[in-house]
Amino acid sequence: MLRVGGAGLRARPTRVVLSALGIAIGIAAMISVVGISTSSREDLDRRLAALGTNLLTVGPGQTLFGEQTHLPSESVGMIGRMDPVTSSTATGVVVDANVYRNDHIPKTQSGGIAVLATRTDLLETVGGTVAKGTFLNDATAAYPAVVLGHKAAERLGVAAPNELVHVGGEWFTVVGVLHPAPLAPELDTAALVGWPVARQRLGFDGYPTTVYARSRDDAVHQVQAALAATANPEHPDEVEVSRPSDALAAKQATDETLNALLLGLGAVALLVGGVGVANTMVVSVLERRAEIGLRRSLGATRGQIRSQFLVESLLLSALGGAAGTLLGILVTTGYATYQDWPSLVPAWATTGGIAATMAIGALAGPYPAIRASRLPPTEALATP
Amino acid sequence: MTPVVELREVGREYQGVVALRDVSLTVERGELVGIVGPSGSGKSTMLNLIGTLDHPSRGEVRIDGHAVRELSDRALSALRANTIGFVFQQFHLAAGVSTVDNVADGLLYTGTGLGQRRQRAAEALETVGLGHRAGHRPHELSGGERQRVAIARAVVGRPALLLADEPTGNLDSQSGDGVLRLLRSLNETGTTVLVITHDREVAATLPRRVAVRDGRVVGDG
Ligand SMILES: Nc1ncnc2c1ncn2[C@@H]1O[C@H](COP(=O)(O)OP(=O)(O)OP(=O)(O)O)[C@@H](O)[C@H]1O
Ligand SMILES: [Mg+2]
Repeated sequence: MLRVGGAGLRARPTRVVLSALGIAIGIAAMISVVGISTSSREDLDRRLAALGTNLLTVGPGQTLFGEQTHLPSESVGMIGRMDPVTSSTATGVVVDANVYRNDHIPKTQSGGIAVLATRTDLLETVGGTVAKGTFLNDATAAYPAVVLGHKAAERLGVAAPNELVHVGGEWFTVVGVLHPAPLAPELDTAALVGWPVARQRLGFDGYPTTVYARSRDDAVHQVQAALAATANPEHPDEVEVSRPSDALAAKQATDETLNALLLGLGAVALLVGGVGVANTMVVSVLERRAEIGLRRSLGATRGQIRSQFLVESLLLSALGGAAGTLLGILVTTGYATYQDWPSLVPAWATTGGIAATMAIGALAGPYPAIRASRLPPTEALATP
Repeated sequence: MTPVVELREVGREYQGVVALRDVSLTVERGELVGIVGPSGSGKSTMLNLIGTLDHPSRGEVRIDGHAVRELSDRALSALRANTIGFVFQQFHLAAGVSTVDNVADGLLYTGTGLGQRRQRAAEALETVGLGHRAGHRPHELSGGERQRVAIARAVVGRPALLLADEPTGNLDSQSGDGVLRLLRSLNETGTTVLVITHDREVAATLPRRVAVRDGRVVGDG
């Protein structure tokens, strides 16, 4: 049965490829959409697992009247003393200071780089790492030394430590450059200077603008709920608490609508592919009347003719489905490799894809197959 | 012994066109019968009824003792697979398939395994003198050779009855003679053969001729 059905397909390879192509494209589209989004989610999960989801940030919010507030200076210490908080640190925006590569650049072209007064224990809490040079320590924090975020270094054109940059009208020595910090992207575009030097030379007001706190994993929500009141007991409503890992996950979620759209397009392609298979089978029956007549004269029953065409249509769509699944996996792997993600195609997607093609084959097959089996043998044989 | 073919007052109409009327015919086992007559006289109609590919509008067709009207599609198909072999003017060979596999298709619906089918097909090809062309495909053969392949396919299952509708119609006279010789030798080994022919000379050499005109049998002997 399979052999006879397969032979019918082998006799017309071009048409088989073309009509299987429709199904293949549909399945490939659906599988790669699912595969790529699963892979990217898997990547996010792994990154979050590495970065930790227990980092919380606290910043000043606005008053009821829309005025900008600031966190009390004691807030860092208060937060650090909370029981489930394992480490905490803070940065403060040096409002009036800008960073320039040299002293010739007009004041207006600040390059979007913020100057942050930074405590020396910033990296441990935030989970950042130094790419080149060193981070600030107790000694350099009091001197005109600066550590540049990954993007800030790029924008300033600083390739290596020991170069000088112009910070708030003074020459600062670059002592280090950071790697990107996924959980604290604000550091990427910042120039970090010591807390004391910021106060002494850059007119820093000393108020923290972001407090970072790592909590025990089991108490994250509890800490998150209590942070506002701890940071500013008098006006807890003027404090903004957030969890950076949530923001990363949320960015991911916005892609879901696009995925749904692509998935829908894949389904349409699959449907069109199914119609293509049905069409191929109908044409095939018309073209092969003589063959049908011959088979009847050789002793094929109506049922055997019907099965032959059913098997052909199932094979045709299975072929498309297999090719599409393979293509979808290839696309996923290719894209994931390109994005440096783990490549992951869920089993439900592949089995679902194969099942869908078989269903299409089973839907497209019966009509032409029944027509073929009902053909009177003499009429079939009479066709030239 | 029951006759292989028995037609009793058989008629066949196609939407008002009477193709065959009141035909009675008996063919005994081992006969070689030529069916002759002008174009449109009903020869093919008669052969299709005998081959159970078509059903009569009236009258009874019995093949190998079975009343065709009473048989199910499955039983009719079994009859065609095991008892009847067909040869057509247009050969009806599968393009792109080797001659041996074309011949093996003659056993496709008899429940014979693939290996056995191929082996018997090779033997049948030897019988028709084409053993050396087993691996060739139809388009590599001459018309006469193609028809001999088609005959091999028809007889590979050793049917009691071989029906040939103008088997030489598409062939030059030399190839036609070869095909006729083949049918004769098959008849000598016991197969009942009914062959439609236009060729008067060919017909003249056959032991029994049934003449058809306007849907009636007008001569037999
Ligand atoms: N399916 C059909 N529908 C309508 N008329 C038909 C059909 N088949 C055959 N006929 C008619 O029946 C008559 C007999 O046809 P048949 O094919 O048996 O003739 P034939 O003797 O085989 O002719 P030829 O020698 O040309 O093959 C013709 O008049 C033909 O037009
Ligand atoms: Mg005819």
